[in-house]
Amino acid sequence: MFPPSSTTAGADDRLHPARDHRWHQGPGKSAGAGWPDGKYPVPVLAAAILAAEGVSFLLVGSAALWLHGEPIAVGDADLVVEPGEQNLGRLGDALARLALRPRVVPRVRDFPLLDLVSVPTSYGRVDCLLERGRVDWVRLRQSSVRIPVADASVLVASGADVWALRRQFKE
Amino acid sequence: MGSRSGLGVVECTILEALGFLGAQPGRRFRRSARVLAVVEDRIGLAPGYAYEVLVDLVRPWTMPLLLVDGQGNFGGRGNDPAANYRYTDSRLSPAGQVALAAERGDLAPVPAGLINGNVYREGTRPPFRPRAVIEALRQVIRRSRVTSKDLIDIVGPPEFGNGCTVTGDFAALAAGRPAVLRLQARVTVSDDYGSVRIENFPPNANPDETASSIAGRAAMRDWAPRHPGLHRSARLPLRDIRDLSSQARGTDLLVCVPEPGTTAEQLRDQLLDVYGVYTTVPVALPRPLATMIRSWARAHGTEDLLASLAALENAIRVQSARG
Repeated sequence: MFPPSSTTAGADDRLHPARDHRWHQGPGKSAGAGWPDGKYPVPVLAAAILAAEGVSFLLVGSAALWLHGEPIAVGDADLVVEPGEQNLGRLGDALARLALRPRVVPRVRDFPLLDLVSVPTSYGRVDCLLERGRVDWVRLRQSSVRIPVADASVLVASGADVWALRRQFKE
Repeated sequence: MGSRSGLGVVECTILEALGFLGAQPGRRFRRSARVLAVVEDRIGLAPGYAYEVLVDLVRPWTMPLLLVDGQGNFGGRGNDPAANYRYTDSRLSPAGQVALAAERGDLAPVPAGLINGNVYREGTRPPFRPRAVIEALRQVIRRSRVTSKDLIDIVGPPEFGNGCTVTGDFAALAAGRPAVLRLQARVTVSDDYGSVRIENFPPNANPDETASSIAGRAAMRDWAPRHPGLHRSARLPLRDIRDLSSQARGTDLLVCVPEPGTTAEQLRDQLLDVYGVYTTVPVALPRPLATMIRSWARAHGTEDLLASLAALENAIRVQSARG
């Protein structure tokens, strides 16, 4: 049979003998402080860069669970973005700098009309959940926590909220 | 979908149009504009749309079983698009001719759609090794008791044909469950340990964009003085990047030189995590893989499938020999 799973390092060594397998594993319960050697899944770095660029958002999805210490593969960065003209402007500028194809980033003036902006970046896909921000920002913000990523600080939705969103939209 | 080849409607119509115009393998090419005019006449699809599919059928990195031979500028994998259809020519490839013969009923059906999949057009069915699929079908025809495990082993994991490494939950895919495949370019340290070579890009990566994004990640950011730790983690220690791709040879090659104080091995490890050097593809088969293979053979069981499989294999051999 085929190798059983992609999320276990070396699962498909039979086919790919070298260091090909790089799905990110969570660091366990010490997640918040990052790995000892300072390595983070690249989608987590994407979120930290956006935070450093001054964009206000809450990290949800697999990257948030990883930062909460869950042993989970991080596929992309899912952000619930704070509504507000200035913040959306900063988001648009930052996405244009990060995007593999800057022209695929929608115009900032269209952001208030969009539910989701999904942008492939060199740090993996960044999904900006704009509608969720318009609907749920205040509620999700209340129970969020700040988690350091390198020397930046990322606002992360509570574990319960992240799982609730995941159940709502993924299962 | 063509029920006898598994190809999509537009793909089948393009093959029919080439056959109608007499553009057989080894005979003269036909101007793509003429081919697309026939396609429009038959299914009403405007040339601009049909040309995108025709270009896919010609480009060697999109699918393992090339169905159309092209002449002229069909573009590159980067930001170089194909020339307008008024300036390119096309004709059936040997495999395309076999698929068309199957669609017309001149041959028993062939599994062209099963081999090529449809992820190149943002579908979810991945491509598989042509000879492996043919061999699995042969086993089903010859040995009615062949097990599903045997069939899955014979077919093997998806293969995208350009040498990129494929990892993922193959067991889930084979069982008919959705999975995400990670496609990774080949990233190696040069013989003199002075640079890192990136080649065999995934089919859905654009080497030009990847080169730009690698260069972008090496740049200093406005926020770097405020977050030096993040900058160290996120930045690539790159001194130079060179695009040594050769359109003539159809290869894409980026060479990255590490900055002083960084070894090529360290840079290689960081490049592996750059999107573009790797990509992801969501995949799912409509049914378990072994069931698909069995039902394909069963659906056409009264016809001479072994002969059509041999014809397809021979066409693949001819195309491989031509490189």
